[in-house]
Amino acid sequence: MNALNTKLLRDLWRLRGQAFAIGLVIGAAMATFVMAMGVHHSLTQTRDAYYDRYQYGDVFVSMTRAPRSVAGRVEAIEGVAVAEGRIEQFATLELPGRIEPIRAIINSVASGGESRLNNLVILRGRGPVIDNEAEVVIDKAFADANDIELGARIDAVIYGSHSRLEVVGIGLAPDYIWSIAPGELVPDASRFGIFWMGEKALEAASGRTGAINALSLRLEHGAREPEVIRHVDSIVAQYGGTGAVGRQDHVSNAFLTSELDQLEAMTTIIPPIFLLVSTFLVYVVLGRTIRTEREEIGLMKAFGYGNGAIGWHYLKFAIAVALIGIAMGSAVGWWMGLSMTEQYAEYYRFPFLFYQVSTNVFATGAALALGSAAIGAIGGVRAAVSLTPAVAMSPPPPPIYRAGLIERLGSWAKLSSVGNMIVRHIARWPGRSAVTVFGVALSLGLLFATIQFIDSSRAMLDNYFFRAQRQDLSVTFIEPQNEKILTELASLPGVIRVEAARAVPVLLRNGARSERVAIESAGETDRLTARVDANGYEVPIPASGLMLSRSLAAKLDLSPGDRTQVELLGGRQTETTLTVASIIDELIGTRAYATPEALTHLTRDGTPVGSANLLIDPLYRDELIAELGDMPQVLGLTERDAAMNLFEEIIEENIMSMMGFYISFAAAIAVGVVYNSARILFSERAHELATMRVLGYHRSEVGLVLLGELALLVVVAVPVGCLTGYWLAQLMVTMFSSDLFRLPFAPDRSSYGFASLVILAAAGATALIVARRVARLDMVRVLKARD
Amino acid sequence: MPPAVKTQPAPGRETAFVGDNLRKIYVTGETEVQALRGVDLEIFAGEILVLLGPSGSGKSTLLNIVGGLDRPTSGRLWYRDTQLTSLDDADLTRFRRKNIGFIFQFYNLIPSLTAEENVRLVTDISEDPMSAEEALDLVGLAPRRHHFPAQLSGGEQQRVAVARAIAKRPGVLLCDEPTGALDSATGVRVLETLAEANRELGTTLILITHNAGIAAMADRVFNFLDGRIASIQTNDTRISAAEMVW
Repeated sequence: MNALNTKLLRDLWRLRGQAFAIGLVIGAAMATFVMAMGVHHSLTQTRDAYYDRYQYGDVFVSMTRAPRSVAGRVEAIEGVAVAEGRIEQFATLELPGRIEPIRAIINSVASGGESRLNNLVILRGRGPVIDNEAEVVIDKAFADANDIELGARIDAVIYGSHSRLEVVGIGLAPDYIWSIAPGELVPDASRFGIFWMGEKALEAASGRTGAINALSLRLEHGAREPEVIRHVDSIVAQYGGTGAVGRQDHVSNAFLTSELDQLEAMTTIIPPIFLLVSTFLVYVVLGRTIRTEREEIGLMKAFGYGNGAIGWHYLKFAIAVALIGIAMGSAVGWWMGLSMTEQYAEYYRFPFLFYQVSTNVFATGAALALGSAAIGAIGGVRAAVSLTPAVAMSPPPPPIYRAGLIERLGSWAKLSSVGNMIVRHIARWPGRSAVTVFGVALSLGLLFATIQFIDSSRAMLDNYFFRAQRQDLSVTFIEPQNEKILTELASLPGVIRVEAARAVPVLLRNGARSERVAIESAGETDRLTARVDANGYEVPIPASGLMLSRSLAAKLDLSPGDRTQVELLGGRQTETTLTVASIIDELIGTRAYATPEALTHLTRDGTPVGSANLLIDPLYRDELIAELGDMPQVLGLTERDAAMNLFEEIIEENIMSMMGFYISFAAAIAVGVVYNSARILFSERAHELATMRVLGYHRSEVGLVLLGELALLVVVAVPVGCLTGYWLAQLMVTMFSSDLFRLPFAPDRSSYGFASLVILAAAGATALIVARRVARLDMVRVLKARD
Repeated sequence: MPPAVKTQPAPGRETAFVGDNLRKIYVTGETEVQALRGVDLEIFAGEILVLLGPSGSGKSTLLNIVGGLDRPTSGRLWYRDTQLTSLDDADLTRFRRKNIGFIFQFYNLIPSLTAEENVRLVTDISEDPMSAEEALDLVGLAPRRHHFPAQLSGGEQQRVAVARAIAKRPGVLLCDEPTGALDSATGVRVLETLAEANRELGTTLILITHNAGIAAMADRVFNFLDGRIASIQTNDTRISAAEMVW
């Protein structure tokens, strides 16, 4: 090894603490990058393989009831490769010891679970026999959540009649990667199951002999989906078709896609923050190293080393530090990605998992890390190259302090000598002080922005459950009912108030843009539900025309006063034009509202009641639920409190895993920045600190000079960090919003405090580690050396 | 090896320091360096003592031990009634704070503090100091008290260091090559100031120098060789700094 490389290794060893601290920050960048890209890549691969192997459909449509032959007509449409009909039938389940309503959606499958599309994956057991009404396959999540084993028997009410089902298999299917019960906000595998039953058996059980109520399509390569959908809709309209949707709008795929988009957003926000900080750190540390080594640089030049060799020598230092970070970050990122992918695989139901981080991801991450370290090194390398040997070998001029604004301020504020030393040193090195402030501020900002996600989810929860939904129970009917059902419900024990919830599926059109939604309505006197905007204010449904959620209005490019074409779906294919009366800034979904009168006018007859909201006396809860369970019209019950608790649980779980990661990462930045600042400060001030010790200052008093400067910078960084966090959180909220929901920017004030405390603790602990060096300061040795 | 000379007690003179068989061994890696090889000494209150000798002969080590910056490996040392060799670090710091003024070859001023503030750095923690202005006045630098070290010449910086050292009215002034980085005229000026502090404040002045000429202004001179005091020279008459042959 040549002498310069030996020097490089020794320098790295000598500066190992600082190199490691910068490596931590680069490692955090690399880890988040590898993790997010790895998870994104793995989930995409897993999803695609799953879809491909198990024939996930391209287009889906639901109908009220259609003859099985409709599948053949749809398959004849140009561009359709396969069309398969099936029955999807809701059922109410009775699990021993469970009083709350438990539902399942039963899907028909050909004999043994063989289908042409959306193939059932049997994990254990076997597929159902085609005509055995007692045999079902149940989904793994439901089985796990309720401890149901193969061979277990489940009592169910299907289409009004009781039956006892036997679990012959446990499985999964690609069209149910993510599923939610109708009317629910939060998926709950313990209360909603996906079942599969033999085709003939389900026909009999649901009273649909020779009929289907759902179609799945596989398109030919190059087929034009919108045209196919238009065709399908025209065929199934007479069977109560509610409008065909492509994969992107199929709920299971839509949720997974939204999650993947969020992961992608994460890679564009978080790693760059770490890389920016590491660039600054390399700049500061290498700059300082080169200043202290100027005499050596002069000597090397005097011996005949060229500028190129010297520049490359210092650049290699930056590269080596980056390599430390790349190695740590790659390993940690790979591991974090694996555990996160496993979590996703648990939440989204995949039968297998490809966890694979491509070499490209590592290579890209490494290139970004090396690039940012090299950029940080440019300043220092240029300084080393531009030194002439004669100048370099003479000692550097002492730092020049002059009476400036800061000095005048210091004397005006009557600062002590130590106070003046601190303030003037900061002012003397404004760039470096700024790096410390910015680095700490960014770490605080990042942590705050992460915590804000929890506040944001809570705000959404509050907005939805406390302001918009005030009922205790929602009752969903097997099929829409007439008004009489409301009187019937009102007469049940413990029911205080009953309100109807009506919705009409429509296609809204504005020029070439169209969106499929359900126009919801609520009466003027209704109190149990409300339309609440992002700020928590209740917005009334306008007396005439439509009220659209902001996201829907944006998709259709509609503003108040514009007119939109409204096409009724599911049965009568009538079309009319309505005015957009107002727009509501809602957090969840893309929705439309109209008064019951407007809805009646639209449908030309009374709008049936799809579900009802109840306010109940909690004393009668169990009795009421039992009675509702016995009503043949009732498909399911949603309890607001249970949904809310589940949502809380999900948030809590996220807090645990997410906070662990981000507190460590944010702390890594704070530690990296503060450690390097402290070490540089210490090496620059060792002489002064030793002088003070000689003059009779105690260690604690001398430590104050070192810690005081850091403390002042960190204190300045706190408000800057809160502002950075405020801005970053807004950016992240915008980037993480999807069609399905929009996170409100609603930070809790205590989150600023919590983030600040974590960062202050990390900074404080790091500074104290360096301050221990004050205790070991060798006064005699330091004073012998010329400053 | 020269024979060790034991300083003789002088009846009737108050002693500042008494040292008994002081040894100092530095261990660096696998080598041991014996910096002091059993030094006995007595230093009188109010005297000017010059430590002379080649590099590595032990004079800086002794100065550091006397000033409470370092500890001997063995042996005992008293300052008046206090046994310095039994003090812990905090007590040694208090000892320096109360009794010792230091002046170094390279001044060791704090670059971010003005002349006056550098002096205040000491007066802030002293019991009965003179004002910073008064101290600077004594070294003739009162008009430049608001200047930063970088705005002062080497001689001026050293005079600020002297002002900083005498401002607390220390019992002892320890100077390690105080004129080593100065030209002769400036050096004389600094020595005059030190002598004046010795005269006016009764401060014991211990000086390390390579400049044998400076020995003439001392009451006594310890000649160091190989970690021992090889000889002691007593001057019957001291010359002033101005008369010194540089």
